[in-house]
Amino acid sequence: MSELERTLLRRLRDRDERAFRELIENHRDRVFNITYRMLGNRAEAEEVAQEVFITVFKTIETFREESKFSTWLYRVTVNHCKNRIKYLARRHDRDRDELDETSHETNGAAGVPPHHVQPDRALEGAQLEVLLQEAIAGLEDDQRVVVVLRDIEDLSIEEICAITGLPDGTVKSRLHRARLVLRKRMQRHV
Amino acid sequence: MTAESPPRPDEANDRNDIDEAIIGKVSDYLDGALSDTERALVEQQIAKDTTWKRAHAELTETRNYLSGLRKAHAPSNFTQGVAETIHRRSAGRFFARRTLGDRVPFGALLVVALAGLLVIGYVLWSSSTGSLKVDRNREHPAPQGSAAVLPR
Repeated sequence: MSELERTLLRRLRDRDERAFRELIENHRDRVFNITYRMLGNRAEAEEVAQEVFITVFKTIETFREESKFSTWLYRVTVNHCKNRIKYLARRHDRDRDELDETSHETNGAAGVPPHHVQPDRALEGAQLEVLLQEAIAGLEDDQRVVVVLRDIEDLSIEEICAITGLPDGTVKSRLHRARLVLRKRMQRHV
Repeated sequence: MTAESPPRPDEANDRNDIDEAIIGKVSDYLDGALSDTERALVEQQIAKDTTWKRAHAELTETRNYLSGLRKAHAPSNFTQGVAETIHRRSAGRFFARRTLGDRVPFGALLVVALAGLLVIGYVLWSSSTGSLKVDRNREHPAPQGSAAVLPR
């Protein structure tokens, strides 16, 4: 852990609001991307991402600096996502298939295609994204976690083990199975 | 999936398609999770075996799709939203300066004060001129004045 990170943590523990804002600015996009890809719904993702940071603030005293701060943060994120998925499933309100297409334009979800992209290519890209998101949403929760962390967030297997608390072999096998399912589902459409 | 549950059509096709073990090896290969020897073996298989080659191509493509997914960004007012939620839920106390009780170590001060009192007490007690020391051997003088005043 860098000295800069330690200083930030000290300030966080002292409830320095500027430090909290700094922390959110540094990590919000990554946390949001994970929640969005895990839940497939922008509104849910935003709410869960908010809760993640609130939990971090409330429990920052319990972070013992045995792991990287980001590992701890992603663990909190993954746990919140899993809880939300269970909650939505219980309420029969699971709406993961929705892809908030308007959000790309209004909320800056990197959805605005570059000007030089031709409309048909852009449409193709958007359709592919919808298909992929549907395919990810169709995965079992445990498989979805590892795929999002590994193939979308590009975290190492070691880091995923630290985040999920799973052994190396389990992470790999879930990853294999998830890729197998995704490959098949994408094959049917692409 | 449990052994009893019937496979979904796509999963059934998988089994007829590419062996899961091959997918596993190629997956590990793409993750850089193999030893040098295993890596060389997988590369050989990919080069000479069409099933391995196909598994490699398809998994690479799937991974490329995933890694190519556009990153979703949090809304621009996200930070403000979190801060406001915290302020609201804590009635403005969370980010406030820590209270006097948080900043001043009252517990430590109490211990120091008690220790100080004990020291002062001991000094007073052990001192020959201390007011706390009671000299039990000393006799009280007879009230001379009263004898003179009272009638015989």
